[in-house]
Amino acid sequence: MTSVGTGYDLSNSVFSPDGRNFQVEYAAKAVENGATSVGLLCEDGVVLAVEKLVASKLLVKASPQNKGSGANTKIQTVGRHIGCACSGLVPDGRHLVNRAREESQQFKQLYKRDIPPVALADRMGQYVQAHTLYNSVRPFGVAAIFGGVDPETAEPHLYMLEPSGVYWGYRGAATGKGRQSAKAELEKLISSRDDNSPITTLEAVKELARIIYIAHEDNKEKEFEVEISWCSREHTQGKHTLVQGTMLEEALEYAKSKTSNAQDDSDDSDADSDDAMQD
Amino acid sequence: MFRNNYDGDTVTFSPTGRLFQVEYALEAIKQGSVTVGLRSSKYACLVALKRNADELSSYQKKIIKCDDHVGLSLAGLAPDARVLSNFVRQHCNYSKLVYNRELSMEKIGYLLSDKAQKNTQSYGGRPYGVGLLLVGYDKSGPHLIEFQPSGNILELYGAAIGARSQGSRTYLERVMDDFLPVEDATELIKQGVEALRQSLKDETLSVKNLSIAIVGEDLPFTVYDGEAVQPYL
Amino acid sequence: MNHDPYSWGRPSDETYGQYSDAIAHAPSFPKMNTQQPIVTGTSVISMKYNNGVIIAADHLGSYGSLLRFTDIERLFPVGKNTVVGISGDISDMQHIEALLEELETENNYDNSHADDEESLQPSYVFEYLATVMYQRRSKMNPLWNALIVAGVEDSKPFLKYVNLLGVTYSSPTLATGFGAHLAVPLLRRVVDRESDVEKTDMQTATDTILQAMKVLYYRDARSSRKFSMAIIDNDQGLVFNKELEVENMKWNFAKDIKGYGTQKV
Repeated sequence: MTSVGTGYDLSNSVFSPDGRNFQVEYAAKAVENGATSVGLLCEDGVVLAVEKLVASKLLVKASPQNKGSGANTKIQTVGRHIGCACSGLVPDGRHLVNRAREESQQFKQLYKRDIPPVALADRMGQYVQAHTLYNSVRPFGVAAIFGGVDPETAEPHLYMLEPSGVYWGYRGAATGKGRQSAKAELEKLISSRDDNSPITTLEAVKELARIIYIAHEDNKEKEFEVEISWCSREHTQGKHTLVQGTMLEEALEYAKSKTSNAQDDSDDSDADSDDAMQD
Repeated sequence: MFRNNYDGDTVTFSPTGRLFQVEYALEAIKQGSVTVGLRSSKYACLVALKRNADELSSYQKKIIKCDDHVGLSLAGLAPDARVLSNFVRQHCNYSKLVYNRELSMEKIGYLLSDKAQKNTQSYGGRPYGVGLLLVGYDKSGPHLIEFQPSGNILELYGAAIGARSQGSRTYLERVMDDFLPVEDATELIKQGVEALRQSLKDETLSVKNLSIAIVGEDLPFTVYDGEAVQPYL
Repeated sequence: MNHDPYSWGRPSDETYGQYSDAIAHAPSFPKMNTQQPIVTGTSVISMKYNNGVIIAADHLGSYGSLLRFTDIERLFPVGKNTVVGISGDISDMQHIEALLEELETENNYDNSHADDEESLQPSYVFEYLATVMYQRRSKMNPLWNALIVAGVEDSKPFLKYVNLLGVTYSSPTLATGFGAHLAVPLLRRVVDRESDVEKTDMQTATDTILQAMKVLYYRDARSSRKFSMAIIDNDQGLVFNKELEVENMKWNFAKDIKGYGTQKV
């Protein structure tokens, strides 16, 4: 990488002579090494899914006894109607969501309505961007996918926010180590549909499980689990809920059956680091 | 000579997206003596090896009670552990006072995680230099949580942190299926002590350097020190 | 001592001359908080029975003696097995409603057992509300309400009261405001003490509450005919009826009451 080691990359909020903020780019590297997260906008809601790497046999695993996902949950809720899936430094993801919850609470106190996902994405964008402005803090080492159904309009929304503070609305979003193959799969999935057969949340739960399995293929030697959540107009009354029990089992069965004979066609050659902050 | 420019503070990412100061803080855990935690479907238990600075000094306390239903053991900087255990105690008291509710282990884990994360994102401080094993019994049963200075928390069936703890971890992995269904508190403690033994080098366990704690349904968090640990030697 | 509050906390005029607000940057008038409720809701009544609790409140918001709002719900479910009934100032009640919603939202955060083992219990909700009420009274800025928290916890009925003074108590029958005088004696005919709860079934308790609501509508001039009743049963969970009315009244005695209807002297 050019200009690495010239001294302009040692402090946050400093521009290099060619106008780059290296510390923000390095924060994005932390995201690229993190576990994969995906989100899909559907006809009737949104679905989020994350890859959970199982670092040790001693970890409490997802099982019926601990509510299907129970311990070591990764996807978080903001308000009641928005879900957040993060890739990168897990504790940074918690910091981000704690702030999102404050914003959601403050919005509700002022306007007596749930915060629209776009307003939340905007406020969080400002907060994350502020962490690129000062050398007394570092940028967030996470990318966050926010998805939810606006209770006022019943419209589903999906946004992805990056360490620079930039955010875009997406039909399908992917981030983390397996993002390239995940993106390719999302594009295939979305382009295979038209207005007459829009994808539903019920289908998307299975498809995202499959996509996490595909995204994990470059990382095969590591054990993993899939965590899925959804906001559906009909099925969850717009509330953000973890997918559990038989529904989760069916999605995982589907993912396994679709990927067991699929060949590995993606190429993601990120330098892997066994960073302790990466889960 | 190679010099790492990216490890001077917690607000600088390396070009590969790592935070070296935080990773160094994780190394501080390994400077501390070993402690083991494990849980069955009924109880959660801690076992720790205490150290003394020299022959004439007393042994450093390794296990701290936080509430009737929760306690922790530490490896690394003991003063940092005291800050964190006081923090847990305050929140347990607050929860009882305001909500008439025992703080769940899950909430305790996340409170610690959020507190530790703050120290990794702003200039002028340092990350905590201590790893913790928290055990507790709440409405959803017994729990064991490992806390790291990075702010990462993990819920586990068995864990070991501190010097040469890999031996204990390997042992716990091997006997996991044996201790998970254990219904007897004494039996679980015995498994814990055996796991601890796998990490010993020159030391021999005695009433002076062994510390044990157990918690479960109808069994408030209890620490055994001194003569009380004799039966488990 | 000078008993005029407006002269307290400032230098005496005899010693220092005429007091000047401008010098101290003090407001010319002492700070004042709520002195009285404005729009009010009347009694909440409740009682335990052998498998749960019943709580009821009418739909009226009175502006002094004016029956200003006729469709105000004053019973608020929290979680699956708790209902909070609120009397007193309606705007303060709406603030408490927002607090309860926040409480429920936050209980779902970072809580994988939020639906069962770690769900909100009546005693948690009550302790929280009692803390809020006491803190506000200690700031000399009370929420002008009396609350009853009703529910089922560990399969046992739960019923407790807290008011604007931060005072709390519990009893197998509870009522706020006018109901504490008029309804409680009627409820106690059926359940006088804790040991009577076991002998009282849901039907008996429902009849008793309906009877008490009727008497309250007869005699409380700040009450409405429409009311809500919530039953929190250990087996059936929450049964919330918002469409009730006082029935089978006899008003033929009214013509003999002086001051009722058009005045004919």
